[in-house]
Amino acid sequence: MAETSATNGTPTREFTITRVFEAPRHLVFTAWTDPRQIARWFGPVGITTPLSTISLDVRPGGVWQLRMIDDADGAEYPLTFICREVVEPERLVLSTRVPTGPGPIVRQAVLTVTLAELGDRTEMTFHVTGLAMSEENAGLESGWSSSFDRLAEHLTPVAPTSSGAAR
Amino acid sequence: MKPDQLNRTFAALADPTRRAILAKLAEGEATVNELAEPLPLTLQAVSKHLKVLEQAGLISRGRTAQWRPCRLEPAPLREATHWLERYRQFWEGSFDRLAAHLHEIQKGDTHG
Repeated sequence: MAETSATNGTPTREFTITRVFEAPRHLVFTAWTDPRQIARWFGPVGITTPLSTISLDVRPGGVWQLRMIDDADGAEYPLTFICREVVEPERLVLSTRVPTGPGPIVRQAVLTVTLAELGDRTEMTFHVTGLAMSEENAGLESGWSSSFDRLAEHLTPVAPTSSGAAR
Repeated sequence: MKPDQLNRTFAALADPTRRAILAKLAEGEATVNELAEPLPLTLQAVSKHLKVLEQAGLISRGRTAQWRPCRLEPAPLREATHWLERYRQFWEGSFDRLAAHLHEIQKGDTHG
């Protein structure tokens, strides 16, 4: 059930990804909350998230920080999340923080991870809402959305990077 | 990538009525009357939504004063879909790695 397309291919600001993992629920939950494990999977192939850049305060209001590095060109993409809800081992709610540093939050997307037991397996529902590339973060150097967008550009052979103009 | 255009697109799409209008226009041109017919809205309300869609560049309207058929402009929609798709791919790629990682740690070689 992809919510990317609401009606006839009309995009919305949200989407859902559902995955079933061959692992018990507590392991999947820990993979999300243990920095050593985050370092092993966060970001697609071609992206490294070094353990030394990851700090996770796993409680409501806690700040999560990490830095992704593009293996191809060494470009760094810092990310900051605010931990909103922690219900071990079934639910985790994070919001993204733009800008990543101090200062008022101008934009946030909300990421909800829900884990359901399926016998020995775990069904993960990953829901993102509030997505936007906005005027305000166009001017920010490390806006979360635009970081991902640039990252995605690196990861997508279709889009040759020719960003001359300031964003 | 044009953040302003994308943001306008998403803002215009935030409303379910406007999405319904676009869905209808995906089938072909239509007049305000034709668009309003299946909707529980006044012509005036539909006209307002059309104005938002037009300003966002998602539709264009014919010049003929009375007739003014509305037409879908697919380019901004394609761009928004494309952007979302790449965003989604980021996470899909991460979750592929997460699956592999979970497989690994259950074999017992967590610590590397």
